[in-house]
Amino acid sequence: MWNEYSVGLALVMISAVIGFLALLREQDDLHRLLIIDLVEIPSLAIIALLGTDLAEALILPGLVVGIAELLALSQIYVTKEGLRKRPVRGLHIEVVERAHAPVIIPALLVGYGIVLSGFTGGAVAALGAIFFVISRGSTDSYELVEMASGIAWAAWIASFFVFMFFPQYWYAGVMGAAVGILVKVAAKMTLVGSMWGEAE
Amino acid sequence: MIGIGGQPLFMLPFGDIVLYFTPFTLTLFILALVFTVLVIISKPERQIDIVFGGDAYLAKEISISEMKFRRFMAIACGLASMGAMVTGDIFDFALFTSLVGICNVGIVAAVKSRHVQNAAYQYGLVAMSATVPLFAGAAIVAATTGTLSILELALPGATKVPLFVKALLTLGVMGEGMAPFYAAKAEMFRAPGAPYVIMCSLSSLLIFLRVIEVVLTV
Repeated sequence: MWNEYSVGLALVMISAVIGFLALLREQDDLHRLLIIDLVEIPSLAIIALLGTDLAEALILPGLVVGIAELLALSQIYVTKEGLRKRPVRGLHIEVVERAHAPVIIPALLVGYGIVLSGFTGGAVAALGAIFFVISRGSTDSYELVEMASGIAWAAWIASFFVFMFFPQYWYAGVMGAAVGILVKVAAKMTLVGSMWGEAE
Repeated sequence: MIGIGGQPLFMLPFGDIVLYFTPFTLTLFILALVFTVLVIISKPERQIDIVFGGDAYLAKEISISEMKFRRFMAIACGLASMGAMVTGDIFDFALFTSLVGICNVGIVAAVKSRHVQNAAYQYGLVAMSATVPLFAGAAIVAATTGTLSILELALPGATKVPLFVKALLTLGVMGEGMAPFYAAKAEMFRAPGAPYVIMCSLSSLLIFLRVIEVVLTV
């Protein structure tokens, strides 16, 4: 009766119930959005409890749906509250010396991500790229990165067609899919927050 | 398979993911298709406010870009509903259902009215929290029976899905666009733009009918 799956399921259900209770008590709209994002994690955990490679394939769409809803709702929140970016004035913090973070950290992360390849590698490499961009305070535009992401996605799909129609070239398919998803995830994660563009 | 939907008329297997039409789902699919075509070709209405007790009336001005965005969202919602009608996989059904929920929010979210946006936001919160029972239900189906295919679950010898899991699935679909959570959507219907707003109700009706079929079949 109480095998590992049942115990895990019970724990996740309890945490989901705690999250929903917090949702009931909270009145502020923004906080409710944040709590709902927290509540979504148990639903991913329930999928992960399957513990098979099917679970890995199912978590990704679940995660994407959650992020899409979160982005849409936060955009609605920004519009509904009439929030706009305003420059902060009069904030004088004395900084003795402002230095860039060492390049070796993002370089290591990106290198390790490329070694890992695939989705996980993309996430690790993206972490390195985000760290680099944030530590440099860069304000470049990302049109080129967006395009690379699109092309990588197309390569990923093309590799799947290779699997389906030319199974004898499976090795090329594996390599294409791994590189495609690596570049796509890395580019996508770097773009989060920048693709909204400069409104107004 | 003798379910509520009748014998499958057509099957399109992609590996273990099978698309199929039964007379029941075919009817729903055609309904969604016809309405999506109507949304594509029809011109949106102008909402008219009539001053009570007088002759005056005023038509609300709606920008073209706003209408274009809402038409896009309505078409996406129609496509998601069609997907939810034909899919033979419970997890895909959950994905399409949550897509319908997002599109419903998107259809009204472009309206530049604070009341409508507030309602859309509240409904979005409900839809987002409803993904928890929806995906949890789909995942537990796979855990208890070992398959997600509705056709396999409908076989006489198949392991039956526990009642609790069916309740989770239904609760999730309800949250994505059903009563009693529908109350949050009532304000959204005051948004101008006739054919697009109706897509919200139609998609809700379709996924509701489909989840009944799924729950009774598996």
